[in-house]
This record gives sequence, structure tokens and C-alpha cells, in this order.
Amino acid sequence: MATNENPKGGGDPGPLLELRGITKRFPGVVALDDVSLSIHRGEIHMLLGENGAGKSSLIKVLYGAYRADAGEFRHQGKVIRIDSPADAKALGIAVIFQEFSLVPFLNIAQNIYLGREPRGRLPGLIDHARMHADARAVLQSLGLSYDTHALAGDLGVAQQQMVEIAKALSQNARILVMDEPTAAISDRESEALFTVIRQLREKGVAIVYISHRMKEVFELGDRITVLRDGRCVTSMEAAQATPEQMIRSMIGRQVNALFQRKGRFTPGDVALEVSGLHTSTGVSGVDLHVRAGEIVGLSGLVGAGRTEVARAVFGADPIASGKVTIFGHEVKGEPDSVVALGVGLIPENRKAEGLALGRSVQDNLLISSLWKLFPKGWYNAREAMRRVGALVEKLRISPPDPLRPARVLSGGNQQKIVIGKWLNAGCRLFIFDEPTRGIDVGAKMEVFSLIEGLAEQGAGILLISSELQEIVHACDRAYVMRGGRISGELAHDELSEQNILRLAI
Amino acid sequence: MNTTTLTVYRRSRPLPSVVAICVAMIVGAALLVKGFLSGGNLVNIGLQASILMMLAMPMTLVIMSEGLDLSAGALLSLCSVILAQALLSGLSIPLALCLSLLTGLIFGLANGVLVANLGLPPFVVTLGTFGVAQGAALVLTDGNAVAGFGPELARLYGASLLGIPVPVVLALLVWLATHVLLYHTRFGTYVFAIGGNRDALTLAGIRSRFYHVGIYVFAGLVVGFAALLLTGRMNSAHPTGAIGMEFDAIAAVVLGGTSFEKGDGWLLGTVMGVLTISILRNALNLLGVESSLQMVSIGLLVLAVILIDSWNKARKESST
Repeated sequence: MATNENPKGGGDPGPLLELRGITKRFPGVVALDDVSLSIHRGEIHMLLGENGAGKSSLIKVLYGAYRADAGEFRHQGKVIRIDSPADAKALGIAVIFQEFSLVPFLNIAQNIYLGREPRGRLPGLIDHARMHADARAVLQSLGLSYDTHALAGDLGVAQQQMVEIAKALSQNARILVMDEPTAAISDRESEALFTVIRQLREKGVAIVYISHRMKEVFELGDRITVLRDGRCVTSMEAAQATPEQMIRSMIGRQVNALFQRKGRFTPGDVALEVSGLHTSTGVSGVDLHVRAGEIVGLSGLVGAGRTEVARAVFGADPIASGKVTIFGHEVKGEPDSVVALGVGLIPENRKAEGLALGRSVQDNLLISSLWKLFPKGWYNAREAMRRVGALVEKLRISPPDPLRPARVLSGGNQQKIVIGKWLNAGCRLFIFDEPTRGIDVGAKMEVFSLIEGLAEQGAGILLISSELQEIVHACDRAYVMRGGRISGELAHDELSEQNILRLAI
Repeated sequence: MNTTTLTVYRRSRPLPSVVAICVAMIVGAALLVKGFLSGGNLVNIGLQASILMMLAMPMTLVIMSEGLDLSAGALLSLCSVILAQALLSGLSIPLALCLSLLTGLIFGLANGVLVANLGLPPFVVTLGTFGVAQGAALVLTDGNAVAGFGPELARLYGASLLGIPVPVVLALLVWLATHVLLYHTRFGTYVFAIGGNRDALTLAGIRSRFYHVGIYVFAGLVVGFAALLLTGRMNSAHPTGAIGMEFDAIAAVVLGGTSFEKGDGWLLGTVMGVLTISILRNALNLLGVESSLQMVSIGLLVLAVILIDSWNKARKESST
């Protein structure tokens, strides 16, 4: 275990909080695998890792939102338990979450002091005056002069983030955990935040800081720990680390079986063309195209705007300006007209957006192509069974029982159903949004074989994935997004995890 | 943004149309309906509004927590029946009231536990307790009215305090209590959070379920208290005496601009909703419109207001 050589620790060399061998499993996934971490007073500890490396799970375990399956916590050398957020609070742990934990119809002061409202003179009543004064003081320390009476729901994203930060600061935390606090705020606000963070370090607060931005990792960090696939792969003094080294640790050598393309297919006509796309959901000026028979990657970090591009192309979100052309037809309208052009969207959140979980495999497979089953105005059960049977066989859906509810199938088989419903509808352009999220390695291979098979038959594929190796191995070329824009395009011979990360961060 | 002393009333949206409609209703009734402004009629409106007010206050909190209480009317009937039977058996008013409050407490607790702890949909849960309460009221009375327990309660109902009828005073007290509860206590703050962002509350280390149950318990207790007015008004109790009152209460809350989503509530709006509905009913009564047509007009009014507010909201959002 690393020892603290930071002189600011003030005569106490031992870690304030130590995590030893923390393991957290979910069905089919090991989110955290034997992770150990020491958190020291007066030290800014940077936590790095790709999407899905386990950073968020680690925070949730630290805050008692998840309970670890194995491992122990030591606070100042003593073994302790963190089973609930209340336990974490008692230890002086405060967390700034990425998903905002603000209540929209409470004002700024009420949000900052939620659960810690100052009591007034009369029993049971809240001292509003003191609460607002305290809130103003906390905001002032961040260089902000917000009206503490403003409702949280009326604030912009950046302001909400600053209120979140103020909320954590107001707890006088001894361990402050921040999950990408600068993701949504401006450079000026970030600078104010960094100043506060440094002041807190001087006061001896231990800070755990998650970031994707190399610049701030090295600007702020005293120690850097890299997580990969739920494991802690590197932990070193920031002064001895280089950005190149950190990127390499984040990627690492993958032991998983890799998907290998059978071949490359000659691209045909342009299937999808997006030019100058802007949306109210944050896409600003995206140009890209996909040809028939081509698998084109769309990479970037979570929140870079990839899903938003997909939704706009599919007609699910309105297009503010720019043009989306599919097979030569300009898209203006709702998903049904886009589907009629032969586009299938395999959404990121398949349980909520891709499947009717309670309905049978058969119903799900047929839902996008019902018109084919009503040739004479009534349901053609024989035709339905024929189609479903063919699909179940082709996709190797298991168990091969079309009458089971979709809910009981594994993630991989559910994904096959979502793909199958578009196959049935005769689509020629497919947009896959994180098609392998939460499914096991074997099923991933099958999903990729299916995708490749579609391309081989002349379909255009836009593949959105946070897993860099998927993009590198499955795609013919790729676009990388950052902050709602395309930050670069990589031709096939330029496709590498390093290149993607460089463009994404 | 300016800072006013009435910060607790601050809303992020433009004022809901209930303000305009409430004013229009008063002016319209005063101009068009003969006898509307007479002293006797105004007292009458106050008396009619007071029971509705008692149901609508806690209903605001329930709806803010993304819930619904369909059992309020039937529970009021049941409490009224129990209160009357207690008086008939010779118990004093305070003791009878305690029994009524206890009944409200039990039903509120049942609603709360089923909704908050077991996570069942409030619509279904309170539909169930509605049936139980209504059935119990009928069983206890064999379907007949309970009467003949002396004039004390009716005298209390008819009394005045500083010239204001006692039922109106009690309704104002319930408003004051709900106001303090919602805007000046932790419980109230957590009502906003339960509807707005339950996870935030849990992450703040607060047992949100406890407070969630509390909302329904509060609702049950206030209904138990309102039974005093209902029984006093008729000096008897009818097993179906308050049937459909939950409709008026929910309508008043919705008219007042409280939303079923995100913990967006406005207590003063509910008060205006109560006034609007009471005045509308009263004016239609004076005009000789039968009560089922009154219900139609309240329903249409609620739909109109919801439409106007959603248009306003859409316009505001598209302009920003």
C-alpha cells in the first residue's frame, strides 16, 4: 500500500480511509474486483478510467448506496462498515454525484441544506433566515452570488452543478468525493472550483476526484489511481506520471476475446448523410455519413452527444438546423416516417425503449412490422408464426420459445429480439446505440456477427459504443465526438484506442 | 431576481390561471347572480367551503408527493358515522372526536404503508381503501342515517367566533397548520423532495418512506377532524354523506396549479381552487342548476384550466 508522503498531512502519516479488497458483483458483471485504495488527509486523489471501469460503482460503495460483497473499510486504522448513506455521512464523507440530486421545487438554500435544515427557535420549525445566510456564505466561498431563493428547477445545468458543489462543501466534509464536477461548467467556474479544492486540501480535507480531463488531472492531482474493468491497475504520485502513461493504463491489454471482422465490404451508395446538425439537446454542427455495406463507429465519452445524434436522425428529437438525408430523402418528422425509409434504431436502454418486457418474444419481434401481417385487414397468424420461427432460428434466440415473455431472457437474447424486430421490418440502415452494454462476452460476439452480417447484405450501420475496442475491431471507420461536436474522423488505418481517446478527452 | 418576504410562495412558472378564474368567478357571480352578495349567502359559501378546504389541504400534499387519495370522501363518511354513533352512545364530543381521528389515523396509516413501504400505486391503494371505508360505513349503519344524539354538536357548528362561523375558523386553522407544516418544517421540505427527487432525500440520509407515510397519516387525521363539521352541519351522519367529495378536493388542488409531477405544489392556489369551486356550486345553486350538472361544470372547468396552463407552459418553454 502506498504511504502518504504529502507534508500537508500534518504529522499523521496513516491514511484517513482505506479500502481493502472491495468487490461488488451484479448479475453477469463484476463491477468492482478486489479494489484497494487509500485516501489521505490533505491529498487530492484523482480517479481515472474508461466508461464502465468501475468508478461510479466505487463511489456508490464508498457512499453506502451499494453494499460491497467483499472487502473492508478502515477509518484511521479501525475496521468500520459503510452500509448506508447515513453511515458515510457520519464518517464525514460527502459526494458530488454526476446525476444531480437537487429537488426542482425547493430553492437553492433548501437544496443545500436538505436533510440538515437548521432548527428555529420554535420547536419543529426551520430557521429560514439562518439557512439562507449560511447558503449565501457557502456560495460566496465559491465566488458565487446566486439568489438563494431561486428554485433549483429554474437553474441552468452549470448553476445546478455549482449548487451541488456548494451542498457538498457545506457539509464540512472530511472526505469529499467529486464525480466529474467540471463536466457541465465553464472554465471560469472550474477555476473558482479548483481554488476552493486547493483551499480544502490546505485545511486537510481528503479529496477523491474523478475526471476524464487530463489537463485537470495533472493540474490538481497529488495521486492518480487508474481503474480498468473494475480493477485498480495503477496508483502513483502525480508528479511521477505522464498523460501518455495514464492513457495506456486506462486501455491496457484486453484479455477478452476480440471480435474479428470476416472481411470488408465494398461500400455502396450513401445511406445516411448528416450535415450541420444542431439540436436543442446539445448537438452542435455534426457532419457525418454512412454508406451501404459500411460499419461506421461513433465514439466519445458518455455525454458527448452521440445518443442525441442518433435520436435526431431517428426523428425522436426535433432538428433545430441542418439536414439529415436517408437514402436520398430528407428527414422531416417523426420516427414513423423514418422507419418507413428503412431505418432501425437499437436504443441504448433496450429495456425501456427497445422492448415490451412483459410481452412475448413473438409480440416483440412483430411489433415493428405489423402491417405485413394484416394483408387483408385481419391478422394472419400463420404468416406471423412463419416469420417469428425464421427469426428465432436466424438469430439463435435462446430459449427458442416465442411465447415466453421477453423479461425472462438474458440481456444478449433481449438484444437479439430488438435487432430482430427491425430485420423483420426490412430495414436497410441500422443505428446501434451501445448494443453490447450489460451482455456477456459470448453474446457480444453473436451481436457483432449479426451486425457484420447486416453490413454484408448491404445495410448501412452506425455503431455507437463507449467500448473503444469495439469501435476499433468492428468498424470500417469512425467519428469521435466531444461536447456535442465531431472532434475527428478516423479512417480504418488510423483506428486505434489511443487515437480515439485523444480525440474524445 | 428580487427577494421578497413571501419567498415560500415563489414559483418558477407564471401564476396558474386559477388566480384569474377565481377573481372572474367572484365578479361574475356578484354581477350576474341575484342574492349572491347577501350576507346570508356569503356565510353559506364559507360553510360549504370549510369542509372542502379541510379535504383539499392535505390532498395538496398527497398530490405533490406524486400520489392521490381517492378514499378521502368515503373515509369522511365513515368517520362521520363513527362520530355520530359515539355521541349517540353518550360519549362527549372530545371523546367522539378522538374516535373519529383514530379512524382517520388507521386509514391514513394503511394508505401510507401500502404506498410508501410496499410501493403500490396510490390510485389502486386508495381505490381499495375507498371501498373498505364506504363498505364499513354502510355495515355500521345498515345503510341508515345516524341521528338523535342531542343538539350540542349542531350548536357548536352554528356558533361564531368574533363574528366568524366556527366551521370557517376551523378550516382557516387547518390551512394555517398545513401552511406551517409545508413551508416551515422539515416534513414539508421533504414533501417537495418526495415528489421532486426521492433519491436526493435518500442520499441526504433521510428515511423518505417515514415522511411519505406521514403525508397520508396527516390526510387521514384531517379527514377525521373534518367529520366534526360534516356531522354538525346535518346534526346526523349518513353512510354516504360525503360521497364524491374527494372529486371536489382533487379538482380544487389541480385547479390551484399543483402538478402530479416533480413535487410542484402551491397551497395558496389550492385555497383559491376551493373558493372557485364553492362559489361555482353556490352560484349554480342560486340559479337553480341541479347538482349533477354542477359536477359537469366543475369537471369542464378543471379541464379548461389544465389546458390553459399547459398551453402557457408550452409557450414559455418554446420562447426560452
